[in-house]
Amino acid sequence: MAEYAILIYEDASAYVDPSPEVWRQTMEAHTRFPEQVADKGGKITGGKALQSAGTATTVRSDVVTDGPFADTKEALGGFYLIEARDLDHALEIAKLCPAPFGGVEVRPVWDTSGG
Amino acid sequence: MGHLRRLTAKVADAAARAALAEAHRREWAFVLAATVRVARDIDLAEECVQDAYVAALDAWTRQGVPRSPGAWLTTAARRRALDALRRDRTLRSKLPLLVEPAQEPEPGGRGAIDEIGDDRLALIFTCCHPALAVEAQVALTLRLLCGLSTAEIARAFLVSEATMAARVTRAKKKISAARIPYRVPGAAELPDRLDAALTVVHLLYTTGHAAPAGLAWSARTWSSGPSPWPGCSAG
Repeated sequence: MAEYAILIYEDASAYVDPSPEVWRQTMEAHTRFPEQVADKGGKITGGKALQSAGTATTVRSDVVTDGPFADTKEALGGFYLIEARDLDHALEIAKLCPAPFGGVEVRPVWDTSGG
Repeated sequence: MGHLRRLTAKVADAAARAALAEAHRREWAFVLAATVRVARDIDLAEECVQDAYVAALDAWTRQGVPRSPGAWLTTAARRRALDALRRDRTLRSKLPLLVEPAQEPEPGGRGAIDEIGDDRLALIFTCCHPALAVEAQVALTLRLLCGLSTAEIARAFLVSEATMAARVTRAKKKISAARIPYRVPGAAELPDRLDAALTVVHLLYTTGHAAPAGLAWSARTWSSGPSPWPGCSAG
C-alpha cells in the first residue's frame, strides 16, 4: 500500500453563508466517506478541515503577509491522507471524496522513512 | 588463412548487425514490456534492454544469430533486471514499486513470447494513463513501445529535444512516484481508458507512414513487411 494525500479545493464562497441543507449534506458526505473508503479496500490515515483561506497568513523568508499563499477562487479547504494500492485505487477513492464546490487533487506522499 | 578468417569474421559481424537491426525494429516493444514486468521500473527496464541489445551484437557475432532473437533478448534483459534488483536490495526497497507482482518472474523460464502480448498492452495502458498529459502519453508510447529516440519524437511534435526530454522524464517520474499501475484495466474501467490507448495505437501507424527522421518521406522500417502488431495491418 502507498500513501496519498487527497487535497480538497473548493470555491470558499459556497461555505461563507451556506444554507443549513447544504451544510448538512456536506457534513453527512464527509461522515460517510471513511466507510466508503473502507468498502473500496483503502484506509484513511489522517485528515483535517481547514478554516477559510481568508484566515491564512503567509510567511516567505521572514516576511509575513496577510492571506493565502496563492489567492485563487478555489482554495485548499482540507485534506485526507489515505492508503491505497496504486494510483488507480487512489483515484477510485478520490472520486468518492466530497467536494461539491470544486474538486480534489491526489498527490503521492513522499516516503521519507528511508526503509 | 588469416585473410579467410578475417573475411568470415566480417560476414558474421554483418549478419549479427542485420539481425540486431531487425530485432530492434520488430522486438523492441516485446522485450521492453516483458522486462518492465520484472524490473518494475521503466528506467531500469530500458537500461537492461539497451544492455541486452549491446550484448547481443557481441554474442551473435561470435556464436551466430539465435533462432529466436526476441526470446534471446528478452531473457538477457530480464536476467539483467533481476541481477540489478538482487545486487542492490536497499535500492529495491526504496524503488517505488510500479507493479503489483502477480507472480514471481521466472528468469528465462517459459518462453517469454507467449505472455508478451498482454505485457505490451499493459505497457500501453500505463503510458496512456489519464493521469499523464496527452502529449506525454503519446511521447512515452512512441519512446517505449516503438523505440523512437527522444530527438525523433521531438521532431514529430515540433519541439526542441530538450523540451521533449524533460516531458518524457517528468512522465516517467510520475509513473514511478504516483504508482501508476502496470496492468490492463478491468472491464469496468475500460470505457474511460480505451480511447487514449486507441489514439496512441493509431499514432503508431501514422508514425509508420511518415518517417520521423531521415530524408525519405516514408519510414520503410515501420510500414513495410508483416506487422509486428498481430491483428493489425501496417498498410
